[in-house]
Amino acid sequence: MSFDNKKLLAVKDLATTFHTAGGDLPAVGGVSFDMESNQTIGIVGESGSGKTVLSRTIMGLQQRTNVTVTGSVLLSGFEMVGASEDEKRERWGTEVAMIFQDPMTSLNPVMKVGKQIDETLRVRLGMSKADAKARAIELLELVGIPSPQYRYDAYPGQLSGGMRQRVVIAISLACSPKLLLADEPTTGLDVTIQAQILNLLEELKERLEMSVILVTHDLGVVATRTSRIIVMYAGRIVEIGSTREVFAHHRMPYTRALLESSPKVSNASHTRLTTIPGRPPNLLKLTQGCSFAPRCSYATEKCHVDRPELEAADEPGHMFACWNPLPKTRRTVKK
Amino acid sequence: MTETREPLLKVQDLVVTFGMGHHEVAAVAGVSFEIFEGETLGLVGESGCGKSTTGKALMRIIEPSSGTIELDGTDVVAQKGKALRNIRTRMQMIFQDPISSLNPRRRIKDIVAEPLDCWKSVTGNDRDVLVSDLLAKVGIDPKVYGNRYARQFSGGQCQRISIARSLAMRPKLLICDEMVSALDVSVQAQILNLLEDLKHEYGLTLLFIAHDLAVVKNVSDRVAVMYLGRICEIGPADTLYEAPGHPYTKFLLGAALEADPDSPVHGEVLGGEPPSPMNPPSGCRFRTRCPFATEKCAEIEPQLEEVAPGHLVACHYPLTIGTK
Repeated sequence: MSFDNKKLLAVKDLATTFHTAGGDLPAVGGVSFDMESNQTIGIVGESGSGKTVLSRTIMGLQQRTNVTVTGSVLLSGFEMVGASEDEKRERWGTEVAMIFQDPMTSLNPVMKVGKQIDETLRVRLGMSKADAKARAIELLELVGIPSPQYRYDAYPGQLSGGMRQRVVIAISLACSPKLLLADEPTTGLDVTIQAQILNLLEELKERLEMSVILVTHDLGVVATRTSRIIVMYAGRIVEIGSTREVFAHHRMPYTRALLESSPKVSNASHTRLTTIPGRPPNLLKLTQGCSFAPRCSYATEKCHVDRPELEAADEPGHMFACWNPLPKTRRTVKK
Repeated sequence: MTETREPLLKVQDLVVTFGMGHHEVAAVAGVSFEIFEGETLGLVGESGCGKSTTGKALMRIIEPSSGTIELDGTDVVAQKGKALRNIRTRMQMIFQDPISSLNPRRRIKDIVAEPLDCWKSVTGNDRDVLVSDLLAKVGIDPKVYGNRYARQFSGGQCQRISIARSLAMRPKLLICDEMVSALDVSVQAQILNLLEDLKHEYGLTLLFIAHDLAVVKNVSDRVAVMYLGRICEIGPADTLYEAPGHPYTKFLLGAALEADPDSPVHGEVLGGEPPSPMNPPSGCRFRTRCPFATEKCAEIEPQLEEVAPGHLVACHYPLTIGTK
């Protein structure tokens, strides 16, 4: 397919609304972005910003009831929104795969890890039992699990958190997906193990020519591992651009607040952190204006009544949604 | 610095074991450190290294197997009954999960007042005034929110309420066990700043247990690094981060991610995983993952030795220190 190289993923006006007892909750409220193949995009935001719901919606994993998805998700030219379960299942694994945050709950605790990899291979690729086992062992080796023949027969409970996440990665890679959605893949892991897993993902991305969407709340994770980042707030993209540009020349006050409120190893001890007053908004009670306005020190009257749309910044591909953006030349505070 | 001053907390050879016989695990395997009045000691390490167990053993929530803990000259380990409860008022703990550490069905003013009610130290109108004052100090309006139930609050607010409760008895030492790790960055920054303010106002001494190196650096005067039940390095925060003496500290710092695309990326990544504390390696506990390990490391367990004033490293081959 010719457009494969151009646009692997095109998301347009994607909105996911949950119908709850308290009213309609717009978890994702109109998100558009494109992704080319062989790229790593980071999606960052605090809890409740809609980053997980967005990635699950791209994957086409929603409950069947009490949720409305509008807009479009074109995955290699195929429309995922409104597709039947069978159609989506055909794409899962081969086109798009997902890694979830908690490696323990994404594995079946009473099934050998090898069998869990086999399952995918046999069902999706129709491999024979023996072929699937051989391939599963190869995959375990690929993700850096020592003595894979032996680990094939291990149960998830016998593996450490880092090893389990490697198994989950092996399962997600079983059918060589073009796009891998990694939702907080390292959040529960220790820093040294986190570094191992992030290196592994980067290496596999190069080797298997995949694209990766890395969803995380940790700015440190995206800073050096992604080429572009999307900053989300209250279900919307508030800034998007190349990672370097967004870190150095962000225009949206929320991006700056997020960057400045995270403690840094290079700070001297007892450095006072910049805080964002207040809390993220209740999505059930969103106002007409900018969702960040109540917490923003630059907010004017306009911000409270009129929602800013994404507009282009200087660098191509860099966009932000703000009526009173930070000045163009601003650089982040460097050590 | 003031080296002659007496430490507020003195821990000697603290050992905490769980289970028995073949299943015995020394979660904390001989830890000694001191905390001076008014300072913050950060305790970092990966999960399973024994940092939380150390914190809980200090409070005797978990009984230490051996070793001594001295708070302000009083032996904590020897206390029993009322004397133990009495000494616990001088040290308080804040836990990781703010929501589950508060009873969801109680009003927050009662939660904060509970220590006072237990001791009947402050009663009647004074008690209500003090509770209101504590809530106001942590940024929660007692008039508006005092009568609400704990379940009605967010994680960040619950952590504020926990702080208020822990301050009710005016403790000297506050043990903070991963108190911000469940919070979002913007809320985390608020809580860390609040903690710094209260530390000055109440003259607190802190043991700040966390896995996040950046957070620990921001709050600590001195930092202790734990690996598999032992302290492998302890020293002033700034020098320890700038020139780590133990190879493990260096790898740990190398793995910490800085929110800066220009930061020197991925130094050497430490391979492998921590060995099981049920069967720790002979000699130096880190030797199985250490690129510099020699035969000596397998035979002799290195002890903490001073490499610079106040900076102790447990390694036979400490990395160059003081060159910076």
